[in-house]
Amino acid sequence: MDNKELIPPGLTYLADNIASKDNILGTSKEAGAKWAKELHLPKQMETMFFAGCGYQYNSELESLMSLIRKIDKSAVSTELTMSLAGFQKKLGIDASGIYRKVMARGSGADAQPLRDAVKVLDSLGVKFGYLADEEPCCGGLLYFIGLHKEFAKHAQEVYARLKSRGVKRIIGIVPSCTYTLRNLIPDSIDGHDLEVKHFCEVVSEGISSLELRYPREVKVTYHDPCQLVRYLGLVEEPRQILRAIKGIELVETEWTKGEWATCCGGGGGFEAVFPELSQILAVNRAKELIETGAEIIVTHCPGCIMQLKAGLKELKAGGVEVLDLAQIVAMAMGV
Amino acid sequence: MSVFTEYKKEIMDAAHNERIRLALSRAIASYRTNTNSALKKFPHTIKMAEEVREIKEKAISEMEQLAQQACEAIEFNKGKAYIAKTADEALKIIGELVGKDKLIVKGKSMTGEEIELREYLEELGNEVYETDLGEFIIQKLHSRPMHILSPAIHVPKEDVAELFSKITGEKLEPDIAKLVATARKLLREKYFEADIGMSGANVVAADTGTLFLIENEGNIRLATGAPPVHIALVGMEKLVPTLGDAYKVAEVTWRYANYTVPSYVSLVSGPSKTGDIEKVTTYGAHGPKELHVIFMDAGRTGLAKHPILRQALYCLRCGGCLYECPVFAVTAGHFGDRYFTSIGAVWAAMVSQDMEKAASLAYTCLTCGRCKVRCPVEIDGAEMVVALRKLIVEGDELGQT
Repeated sequence: MDNKELIPPGLTYLADNIASKDNILGTSKEAGAKWAKELHLPKQMETMFFAGCGYQYNSELESLMSLIRKIDKSAVSTELTMSLAGFQKKLGIDASGIYRKVMARGSGADAQPLRDAVKVLDSLGVKFGYLADEEPCCGGLLYFIGLHKEFAKHAQEVYARLKSRGVKRIIGIVPSCTYTLRNLIPDSIDGHDLEVKHFCEVVSEGISSLELRYPREVKVTYHDPCQLVRYLGLVEEPRQILRAIKGIELVETEWTKGEWATCCGGGGGFEAVFPELSQILAVNRAKELIETGAEIIVTHCPGCIMQLKAGLKELKAGGVEVLDLAQIVAMAMGV
Repeated sequence: MSVFTEYKKEIMDAAHNERIRLALSRAIASYRTNTNSALKKFPHTIKMAEEVREIKEKAISEMEQLAQQACEAIEFNKGKAYIAKTADEALKIIGELVGKDKLIVKGKSMTGEEIELREYLEELGNEVYETDLGEFIIQKLHSRPMHILSPAIHVPKEDVAELFSKITGEKLEPDIAKLVATARKLLREKYFEADIGMSGANVVAADTGTLFLIENEGNIRLATGAPPVHIALVGMEKLVPTLGDAYKVAEVTWRYANYTVPSYVSLVSGPSKTGDIEKVTTYGAHGPKELHVIFMDAGRTGLAKHPILRQALYCLRCGGCLYECPVFAVTAGHFGDRYFTSIGAVWAAMVSQDMEKAASLAYTCLTCGRCKVRCPVEIDGAEMVVALRKLIVEGDELGQT
């Protein structure tokens, strides 16, 4: 017996996209892989970079979220705002429309964290590939919203695809994908033998020998993504990296840092169910972070980046930038 | 409107209420400061909390035996003890003990809230006074508690002044000390006129049948000490094997509850007695002549069988997690049902058996995991929520959907 109608519609919409299009946004796989077109990364390698839906479809997610929020705040009936699929049709922002928009924009100018992550790994001498349009969606969302049977099935497919490409090691970058690949998928697979590391672990192991200097003197604060800090336990690695960069002064919140960091309000599809509340939480978190006096908020998750940008916009804190850790490291390496 | 739509509207209204947000942001800041300094002053609490986790894990597996043992101990102490399988059974037992036309003074009890005990007693024709200040305010506002320990956390002093002015018929200023004095005056006589005093318990030792009652106001001492009858309603998850265990649970509870050291802890094991005249034991000296303790199951033994959701039963009700929840910070207890946040969601599903409400709450959780960092017994709210979502949409081995 199941009771799927009790899942809020915003989440079933994302789950259906995973099932039908193998990505949470329901757009094409080619659009997701566009960012790496000129990088010519091999598709058959023992070490594979896992880009994840969040970064690959970041710009589409941002525009979709801003639309959802406008509608959620407006006088349109609540029933309708809950049904993403419903107002997608109403507004004509169907998946193919978004797809066209992305293709028209060219080489995915918004996937900068991914291109920078690739440059950083290259500079560290890591040999790796990227599955591009064949990279599976990790399916973590299915697990988190309670569809464990569907997740278990999806996990089999993900594992089989990775194994068929001869993958032995994965370098993840989206915190939730990395957690899913490292902690959730192994529970569904007998004899699982993939090694999964997060990008910031690889970087923190490799940077000690490098001379890192940020182009200017800046005050930087760091926002810990929930899954990176509390699920994967990566508290020190990002800080160690930031401290190793000359020109960067790390200023942190007094209380809400590390394992005590406040969620940006974008956890596990929450933003699709409670768009407006999610924005209120984003504003609260952005406020905590700018109270440190930082000029740049560094974080390491596409969801957090989207949320914090929205929060800063609402606060009219135009002078503060939100950057991914990968971008900061690339700039400090001068690549 | 669907349950979810109605619920979403409720929490969005709360989220737009600047007063809730202001009241909570102050409460959160003071909670963190106080708890940090309490843990610095009494650093052994952290190790003790680990012991408490073990005590609770074991006790939750043995709830039924412990309830039996506690009943025997209380009877041995010349009190009366009862086991209620369901909420209705608990109400029936209490209803029969109370009857009608009685004056009742009540200490705050979340278990009482769970089964709507006050409303039930009022329907039977009794006059019931909540004596905890926050709960008194809530009762008079016809509202519901918005926090485990500070039920009126969302009500600013101006609103309290207006409410008390209405009750007393005189114009009262929003001066907190004066408002507290007004409540004291309003309730003072009731303790001595009351036929029955009621309480819950923070923890109960099964070996001696001792109830631990932690408080600061002194209302529980009066409510359970002055009237001739004391009735206590206790959820079975509050039982631990020994007096020593119960002490540890109590100390960890008050420390994480922001009390550092509470003004009062009452230990109640039986009715009041004296042997001062010819060594003849006589009951009802200065305290109650009768003690009745009702141990209530109402879904708890069922919940204990779930490997993940059973963590909800480890909860000490210190309320610490609530201060760390980003959603609670803007919605207060609107993100809840009988209890709040993830534990509220589990309770709605497993105890109240209200799956639609449980789903609404379960999908309001960010699964950010900060509640676990705060929890003295490391209850993993996010893990419970994900397991609960699975149970809601797929059903599970317990056969519930």
